[in-house]
Amino acid sequence: MSAEHAHAHESHGAGHVSPISLYVTIFLALMVLTAVTVGAAFVNLGQFNFLVAMIIAVFKASLVVWYFMHVKYQSRLTKLTVATGLFFLAILLGLMLVDYGSKGFVPMPPPIDSESVIGGSPDAR
Amino acid sequence: MSDAVAHADHHAAAHAHHPAQQHHFDTMPQQKEAAVLGMWVFLLTEILFFGGLFVAYMIYRVWYFDAFAEASRRLSLFWGGLNTAVLIGSSLTMAMAVRGAQTNKRKATVNWLILTMILGTVFLGVKVIEYQDKFANYEVPGPSFNWLAHEQHQAAAGEHAAAPAEGEHRKLSLSPEQLQRTTQIYFSLYFTMTGLHALHMIIGIGLMSVITWMAWKGRFDGEYYTPVEMSGLYWHFVDIVWIFLFPLLYLVERHQ
Repeated sequence: MSAEHAHAHESHGAGHVSPISLYVTIFLALMVLTAVTVGAAFVNLGQFNFLVAMIIAVFKASLVVWYFMHVKYQSRLTKLTVATGLFFLAILLGLMLVDYGSKGFVPMPPPIDSESVIGGSPDAR
Repeated sequence: MSDAVAHADHHAAAHAHHPAQQHHFDTMPQQKEAAVLGMWVFLLTEILFFGGLFVAYMIYRVWYFDAFAEASRRLSLFWGGLNTAVLIGSSLTMAMAVRGAQTNKRKATVNWLILTMILGTVFLGVKVIEYQDKFANYEVPGPSFNWLAHEQHQAAAGEHAAAPAEGEHRKLSLSPEQLQRTTQIYFSLYFTMTGLHALHMIIGIGLMSVITWMAWKGRFDGEYYTPVEMSGLYWHFVDIVWIFLFPLLYLVERHQ
């Protein structure tokens, strides 16, 4: 029984030791991508500024998760668990924004005026 | 009774269990995988914890974009950029600490952990400088929040300086009164998100000081270094949160 288990667990590399050069490469990539993010923010890309910033951030986060957090070397169960978390985050972000978006908040109404909010003078209308 | 002890001795001798292996695990890798999985489940709750704040940020950003853009320009790109570099650097030193434990290098592990804590403290120190600046400029949401205090201060200083204030050429869709109200939403989110992030870093440094002490005592080796790896996962997670906070808070609209 225990021998079988030992054999079954040999295949996954929980104790995988990454070379120092890999860590340094990831670190440099993260630094360069940070500089790119700042640089891109000063270029007028219209609505794509936000998209570019988020794509870079997601890529940076993926590098950290995959290499620094060793998910690359974990079991499929752990990988699936990580993916599940991202899936639920996507539901949280996606459905909330769809909900707000579909309520006519995009394009956005003007900022709150004290007259038009609840508690303001109704006879103003 | 003595049979049982004899059996246990025989069992231990036959399998040569690592002292850190708990009896309900068959092997060290199995024990480690359980710990990694459990840590990730905890981190998922953390992702959704911060996720709620990111949702709030997104909705208000779309809603009051101009206010967010204006308020974001009040943050220092220098300090924000520096802190991003410091935190990424601390992720590297943390990864090196875990590697040190994996390769049985006790002193290297301790040194990398100490360096990680120093970088974490530098980050928090910069955060203190930034917060102090916000308090000094009446940019903390609440009764003393004054959006115009900063510009009045700039205008007073500008009497001697030839260069006009950066914001003067931008056409604003919001009146000063509207900005006074809506930029407070931005700064509320700024303080909540960075404050919660800073709290995580303080907890991380606390965890690490215990781990460093354990590493110094020689509790870890190439087969058992789970606490180092777990605090590493936590620290990298905090780094990831900042990777998103930096562009969202500091770089809303810098090209104008």
